[in-house]
Amino acid sequence: MNRNKSGMSRALVRRETTAGYLFLLPSLFFFLTFVVYPMVMCIITSFFDSNMGKNTKDVFIGLGNYIELFRDQIFLGALKNTFIIVLVSVPVVMVFSLWVANCIYDMKPWLTSLFRVVFYLPVVTGSVAVTVVWKWMFNNRLGIFNYIFKSLGIIEKNINWLGDSKYALGCIILILLTTSVGQPIVLYVSALGNVDQSLVEAAEVDGANRRQVFWKIKWPQIMPTTLYILIITMINSFQCFALIQLLTSGGPNHSTDTIMYYIYYNAFKLYRYGYGNAMGVILMIIIAVLSAIQFKLGQSDS
Amino acid sequence: MKKFLAIVLALCMVASLAVFASAEPAKEITLWTYPIGQWGNAEAVEALMADFEAATGIKVTVEYLDYTNGDDQVNTALEGGAAPDLVMEGPERLVANWGAKGYMVDLADLWDDEDLAQVNPSCVAACFNAEGACYEYPVVMTAHCMAINYDAFKAAGADQYVDVESHTWTTEGFINAVNALYDYFGEPVADIYCSGQGGDQGTRAIINNLYGGTFTNAEHTAYTADSPENIKALEVLQGLEGVYFNAAENGGEEITAFRQGLLKMAFCWNIAQQLPGETTGDRTYDDEEIVFMSFPAEDGNAALCGGIWGFGIFDNGNADKVEAAKEFIKYFCDGEGTAPAVRTAKYFAVRDVAGGNDISEIWADNDTMNAYKVLMPYLGDYYQVTAGWATARTEWWNMLQRIGDGGDVATEVATFCANANAAAAA
Amino acid sequence: MLGQKSKATRAVELIVIFIIAVLFTFPLYWIITGAFKTVKEVNSTTPVWWPYEWTMDNWTKLMGKLKAPLFEINIPFSQYWSEDGNPIVAISGATVPAAIRWMINTVWMAVAAMLLTCLTSALAGYSLAKKRFVGRNLIFTLIVCAMALPKQVILIPLIREMSSLKLYNTLAAVIFPIVGWPFGVFLIKQFAESIPGEILEAARIDGAGELKTFNTVVFPMIKPGVGALAIFTFIQSWNDYFMQLIMLSSTKNLTISLGIAKMQAENSTDYGLIMAGAAFASVPIIIVFIIFQKYFTKGITMGAVKG
Repeated sequence: MNRNKSGMSRALVRRETTAGYLFLLPSLFFFLTFVVYPMVMCIITSFFDSNMGKNTKDVFIGLGNYIELFRDQIFLGALKNTFIIVLVSVPVVMVFSLWVANCIYDMKPWLTSLFRVVFYLPVVTGSVAVTVVWKWMFNNRLGIFNYIFKSLGIIEKNINWLGDSKYALGCIILILLTTSVGQPIVLYVSALGNVDQSLVEAAEVDGANRRQVFWKIKWPQIMPTTLYILIITMINSFQCFALIQLLTSGGPNHSTDTIMYYIYYNAFKLYRYGYGNAMGVILMIIIAVLSAIQFKLGQSDS
Repeated sequence: MKKFLAIVLALCMVASLAVFASAEPAKEITLWTYPIGQWGNAEAVEALMADFEAATGIKVTVEYLDYTNGDDQVNTALEGGAAPDLVMEGPERLVANWGAKGYMVDLADLWDDEDLAQVNPSCVAACFNAEGACYEYPVVMTAHCMAINYDAFKAAGADQYVDVESHTWTTEGFINAVNALYDYFGEPVADIYCSGQGGDQGTRAIINNLYGGTFTNAEHTAYTADSPENIKALEVLQGLEGVYFNAAENGGEEITAFRQGLLKMAFCWNIAQQLPGETTGDRTYDDEEIVFMSFPAEDGNAALCGGIWGFGIFDNGNADKVEAAKEFIKYFCDGEGTAPAVRTAKYFAVRDVAGGNDISEIWADNDTMNAYKVLMPYLGDYYQVTAGWATARTEWWNMLQRIGDGGDVATEVATFCANANAAAAA
Repeated sequence: MLGQKSKATRAVELIVIFIIAVLFTFPLYWIITGAFKTVKEVNSTTPVWWPYEWTMDNWTKLMGKLKAPLFEINIPFSQYWSEDGNPIVAISGATVPAAIRWMINTVWMAVAAMLLTCLTSALAGYSLAKKRFVGRNLIFTLIVCAMALPKQVILIPLIREMSSLKLYNTLAAVIFPIVGWPFGVFLIKQFAESIPGEILEAARIDGAGELKTFNTVVFPMIKPGVGALAIFTFIQSWNDYFMQLIMLSSTKNLTISLGIAKMQAENSTDYGLIMAGAAFASVPIIIVFIIFQKYFTKGITMGAVKG
C-alpha cells in the first residue's frame, strides 16, 4: 500500500482521508458514546467512594476500592468461580462440540442439519425460557434429576442441586454448556466438511487409521476454527450472567457468584457503585491480558 | 368530608386556572406497586384507578413490581432518573431505604391531629423517621402468621400440640410436632427458605419467637440477631431433622410446596393467602385443610411481625406531580377510595374512619378475616425501619444459607450483625 | 477389519449422540407441553410426561394479565422538551395483552439493532480496510481491545449516561450499546481486506464518487459478511437479557424474555403460566430459525472464517 500512497496526488490523499473519516463516523459515534465513554467513566469512578443516594457525594479515595477488593473474600470467591466456569466450560465445549461435529458431519445431509438444529436449539430458545425448565429439573422435591436418580438407585435422598453449595456451580456450568455448544458444532461441521478430501484419501491409502487421519490431516486444517471457538467460548463463559441471576442469585452463600454477578449485586443490592466499578476494571484487565495472550498465540500460529 | 370537598374545590380552581393558562396541568402520574394482596392484579387495580380518575381527573399509569426484582428495578430507575411518582410498599423500603437515601417527599403535611389520632400508633411510628419526616402514608396493615396442614398434623398425631381455637402453640409443642411429622412422613416438613428476596418476615418471626429473641434493639438502631435467644433458636432449628434450610427456595416457592402438600407448614403466610379466590384458598391442592397459626413461643404468646403498606412519593422535582400524588394518597388512604383500596389489599385498614366514612366493618361479612382477628393482638414491634435495612435483609439470607450449609450458628450470626450494623451506622 | 470396527464405534456414537440430542430438546418439549397442563398436572409431584387434559387456562392468563398498547409512535426527541421527561406519544395502537407488545418490542429492537449495526459496520469496516488516514491504527487497536470486553463491566456508568441522555427505559438504551459494540466493524474489515485495490482504483478512474463506489463495488463484495453480521447481531440482541434487564422498566417497554423473567419472579409458583410465557417467547424464534436454518448456519460460519 505504501507504494500506492507515494503515487497518490495530494488531492487524492485529502479525498481518501475525508472519505475514510466520514465512513467511519457513524460507527465511531456509537462506539465512543456507548462503549468508550462509559469505560472511561468506569475507570474514573472506581477511584471514588460512590454510593446510591440523592444527597451523597462521591469522595475520592484513590486505590481504596481496589485495596478493599483484594481483602473481600466474596470477591475473591467470585473471581475463583469465574475462572472455574471458564476453565471447565471452555475445554468441555471444545471437546464435546468437536466430537459431535466429527460424528455428524459426514452423515446424510438431512441428518446433519437435524442434529445441528437440535444442538443449536438452546441458543435460540434463550436463557430465560431455558432456565424456567432447568429450575424445575433441579428442584429438590419435584425435579426430574432427583426423580430419575432415585428410581435408578444412584442417590438415596433428594439432592437440593441449586441450594447446595457443593453442586450449585456445577449445575450452572452444565446449563451454560448446553447453551454454548450450538455455535461451535455448526462451525466444526462446516470446517470438517471443508477438509481437503484428497489428502484424507491419500492418507487412507497409506494405511492411516481413523485417529491418525484425524490428528494428522484434519486437525491442522480446522485449527483456525478451533482458535475462533476458543475465543468466543471464553467470552461467552465470562459473560455468564442471566443463568445466575435467574437461578441462584449468586447463592447459596455466594457459591455461584461470578464477577459479573457480584458487580450487579454490589450496584443494586448494596448500592456501592464505586466498588462495583473497581471490579469492572479488574475484569477489564483480566480479559485484556487473556486476549493479548490469545492474540499472540494466533499470530505465532499463522 | 369537608376537607375532601375543600381539596376537590381547590383543585378544580387550580385546574381551571391552569386550563386558562393553556398549560397542561399534571394530570398524569405513575404508580409502581408491589403485589400487596390484589394490588398486584392489573384488573383489580385498573378498576380502582378508573374510579380515581373519574373522581379527580388524574390519570394513573400503574406498573407492577415483584419481590424478586422489584427493588433492583426501583433502584435502577432511581439511578436512571425515571422513578415513578408513587410507590406502594412498606416502611422498610419507603422510610428506611429510599426515604433515608433522600429520594422521597416528606408527607408530614398530609397529617392533621385527627389523622394522628385515628391511625394505628405503631403505623404512625413506622412511617415517620427519627427527624419527624414522613415518607409513607399507610393504608393497610396485618400481622404475618404461619400456616399448618391440619390434615397432615392429624395423620401424624401432631394435632395435640396446636390449639386451633386460639391459633397458638408453644415452642415445645412446635418441636414435638416437627418431630412427630418427620417420623410419620420421613421427609423434612418445614423449610427455612433462604434463596433471597421477599418473605423474610417469616424466617425472622420463627427464629425470634422460639425463645423470645428480638431482631433489633428497642430503639431500632442496631441489629440484635446475635442474642443468646436467637442463637439458641437457630441451633434448635439447625438440629431438627424435620426442618430443612433450603437455599434454592424463596418465600413464594415455599408456599407452593406447602400447597402441593410437600411441606406440612409454611412460615411465609398471611391471612390474605387463605381467602377464597386465592388459588385454592384454605385448602391445599390435594384438598387438605390449611389452618393459620401464630408463631410458636415459649409461653405461646408470640410477637407477630407486622406488615404495613401504604404510599410514598418519589421526589422527581415536579411540584405539580407531587400535588397530584398527594391527592391520590388522600383519596385512597383517607377518602372515598379507602374502603375499596383496603378490600383490594386484603388486609386490615389502619384506621376506622377514612374520609368521614366508617370503614371498621369492612370485613364484617368475611369469616376468615373475622377469625383472624384473634391474632391481631399479638402484633409486635415494627422494627423493619432500622437503618441499613436493605443490607440487613440481604445479609440475613446469606447468614441462613451459611447456617443451612452447616455453619456454626454463633459465628454466622456474629458475621450478620457485624455487616448489618455496619450498614446501619453508615 | 478397520472399516468394521469403525462401523461398530459409529453405531455407539450415534446412539450416544441421539440420547444427548433428546436431552437438548427436552426443555423445549417440557415448555410446550407444560403450557397446556392444568394446575394439578403442572404441580404434580411425579412428572406428568404428557398432559392428560389439554387446557388453555395458562394462555388465557398469559394474555389476560397485563395490557399494553399494541404500538406507540413517539414524537422523536420529544423527551428533551416534554414536561415530565417522557417522550410524547403521537399515535398509539389498540390495547392488547402485554405479551404481544413485548414480542413486537423484541422484534423491533433486534431488527433495529441489526440494521444499524450492519450499516455502521459496513461503512466503518470498509474505511478501516481500504482507506488510509491518520489515526486509523489507533482506532483499530481500540476496537480490538474493546471487542472482548463484557458489556456488564460498564453497566453502572452506562445507566447514568442513558439517564442523562433521557434514554433510560427506552429500547434505544438497549440498541445503542449493541450498535456501539465493535465486533461488526472488525468482522467487515476482515471481509473488505480481500477487495482488490485495482477494482477500487478502476472505479475511481471511472469517476465514481465515494458513495457510488461503496454502493456498486464494495457492498456487493462484502455482502456475505454483512449477512453473517446481520444474523449474528439479531441472535445476540434477541438474547441480550442483561442490557434489557438494567435498561427497561415499564411494562410497555419490556422485551419478551424480560417480560417472562419478570413473570417468573412474580408468579414463581404458577408454573403453567410461566411455561406458557416461555413457549410464547421461544417458539416463534425457533420457527424462524428452522425455516432460515441454511442462512443461519452460513452466517455463523462466515463470521468465523473471517473473524
